[in-house]
Amino acid sequence: MDLFSNLALGLSTALQFNNLLFCLAGVIIGTAIGVLPGIGPIPTVALLLPFTFGLEPTSAFILLAGIFYGAQYGGSTTAILVNVPGETSATVTCLDGYQMARQGRAGPALAIAAISSFYAGTIATIVMCLLSLPLSALALKFTAVEYFSLLVLGLLAAVVLAHGSVMKALSMVLLGLLLGLVGIDVSSGAPRMTFGIADLSDGLDFVPVAMGMFGLGEIMANLERSDERRVVSQKIRDLIPSWTDLKAAFPAMTRGTAIGCILGVLPGGGAALPPFTAYAIEKKVARDASQFGKGDIRGVAGPEAANNAGAQTSFIPLLTLGIPANALMALMIGALMMHGIQPGPQIMTEQPQLVWGVIASMWTGNLMLLVINLPLIGIWVSMLKVPYRLMFPAIALLCCVGTYAIANSVFNIWLMLGSAVIGYFFIKVGAEPAPLLLGLVLGPQLEENFRRAMLLSDGDFAVFVQRPISAVLLGVAALLILLLMSPTVFRKRKEALAE
Amino acid sequence: MSDGEPQAGQRLNYQDLLFGLFMLAVAFGMTVATWKLRIGTAANMGPGYMPRAIAVGIAGFGIYFVVKSLLSQFKAVEPPQPRAVFGIVASVAVFGVLAPTMGLFLATLATVVVAGFASRETRFVENLLFGGAMAIGTVLLFIKGLSLPVPAWPW
Repeated sequence: MDLFSNLALGLSTALQFNNLLFCLAGVIIGTAIGVLPGIGPIPTVALLLPFTFGLEPTSAFILLAGIFYGAQYGGSTTAILVNVPGETSATVTCLDGYQMARQGRAGPALAIAAISSFYAGTIATIVMCLLSLPLSALALKFTAVEYFSLLVLGLLAAVVLAHGSVMKALSMVLLGLLLGLVGIDVSSGAPRMTFGIADLSDGLDFVPVAMGMFGLGEIMANLERSDERRVVSQKIRDLIPSWTDLKAAFPAMTRGTAIGCILGVLPGGGAALPPFTAYAIEKKVARDASQFGKGDIRGVAGPEAANNAGAQTSFIPLLTLGIPANALMALMIGALMMHGIQPGPQIMTEQPQLVWGVIASMWTGNLMLLVINLPLIGIWVSMLKVPYRLMFPAIALLCCVGTYAIANSVFNIWLMLGSAVIGYFFIKVGAEPAPLLLGLVLGPQLEENFRRAMLLSDGDFAVFVQRPISAVLLGVAALLILLLMSPTVFRKRKEALAE
Repeated sequence: MSDGEPQAGQRLNYQDLLFGLFMLAVAFGMTVATWKLRIGTAANMGPGYMPRAIAVGIAGFGIYFVVKSLLSQFKAVEPPQPRAVFGIVASVAVFGVLAPTMGLFLATLATVVVAGFASRETRFVENLLFGGAMAIGTVLLFIKGLSLPVPAWPW
């Protein structure tokens, strides 16, 4: 299979009428939740999982992926118009985007954000096609030893590149691994930490845990801060940016795309890091940086492109290696497993239609975003007027119904309740719950591969450094830790993630 | 979350302290719960091998955070607001109790109404009407639309 036949397969899948429809639904729902602060893509994807059971896996995945990059896009709309980032990834867009809107240039700012996203999405789709083949070829050489090292690297990198305290994030990964152990041990049949509860013997479902921590825990924290949302009503005109705007924005878009592609592939990259990096770089390379923060169009184009490119390329590790780059991708893995697809290196050869269909759908989805969203901006803005006092009971309810509906299990509701309380505690003590979810999803695989590797090597730990691929992976992991220990990098990271 | 007033000479980071103690408690509970499982050797791991390894790791981080909290500057944990926490917890609990017994419609309505108590801004009548609308929507969507095998009514 070469690149073009893969792309053709992907496009023919993505262009099927029902898949186009699911893609459209995904990006519209995504944009809507991106616009609404207080509900992010993680609870939304978790909520929609039960709806996707009846669908074909490919359609289901196209829908869920659409929600993710649609949300990135919607977040920037509110960032520009109301100075409220709908998603954390759009925080940087507030800086110059809102200033442009205040100067009456909301139209061009929105248009440039859309064009940057589309441009980045197109390039990122090509990058995904180019990278996927060699990566999956490499992955086929993987044994349990390499797989274990890859999982270790994935978990570490996700922690290092995420927000907040690294030590706390590492602790959260361990807590997640612990939760992943609950249930009957596959190889010995011994129940572990089930406390005699029959519902626990199959292990903890990650959907209730995710909804409790991300959906409900966040509601509780949100209700404590009472921030006023001011909606600026402004007539949006001149949606078409001038030639000068485009010319100024284009190099920034290209740089942003490159940054996004690189950072997105790294585990833990995903959506948060690229825009910050892109903004910092734009400021550095600009000949005249005095306008940044006062409505410079490059300050919108660069981060927006980086954001979207990163969101898309973060699917690469998931689709080729079965390793999620962030908590949302962990949910996606769960979605695959619910459809009976085992994520891992073999997914590319066994499910080519799914993988390439999803990749191609990202391009069609981006095109839809570009076409439908600019005319719909009025609707998005009016959605902001929905008060939080109505939104939070609805979110709480949807979490309940969704959890109950997935497995028709009352136990999962109580599990979600427990997760919500613990999630609230984590927010209170300043620990991000996202790494925990990664640990929970990857825990069973980690243990199984570790056991198998040890069985193969007869209990010799040296096997992890004797095999070349595994040694390189662990070397990179060690390098990450070393870099982190060095004080200069530590300060830089703080600066980069500040805000 | 904002820093508390830094007072001269006062130490103790409460956030880290609480987190560290939590980790220690988890490690302890986990060790007790998996005490009887066979550990085995690296070449032939028993079901207790990974739990023990992870428990050691969690305990290690727990100690790190406790020690660090004692050595670092004062940082308070913002006191939780009982209203938000209890409102949400109660609403989920209500759903957990009512959904299997009284059906989806009443469970939905009750959940929305109880959740409303979590915020001071809630207007009761508005929330009641909203809950009714959500209940109708939920029943239509999940039972008529997705034909989930859950009861809609108490009878």
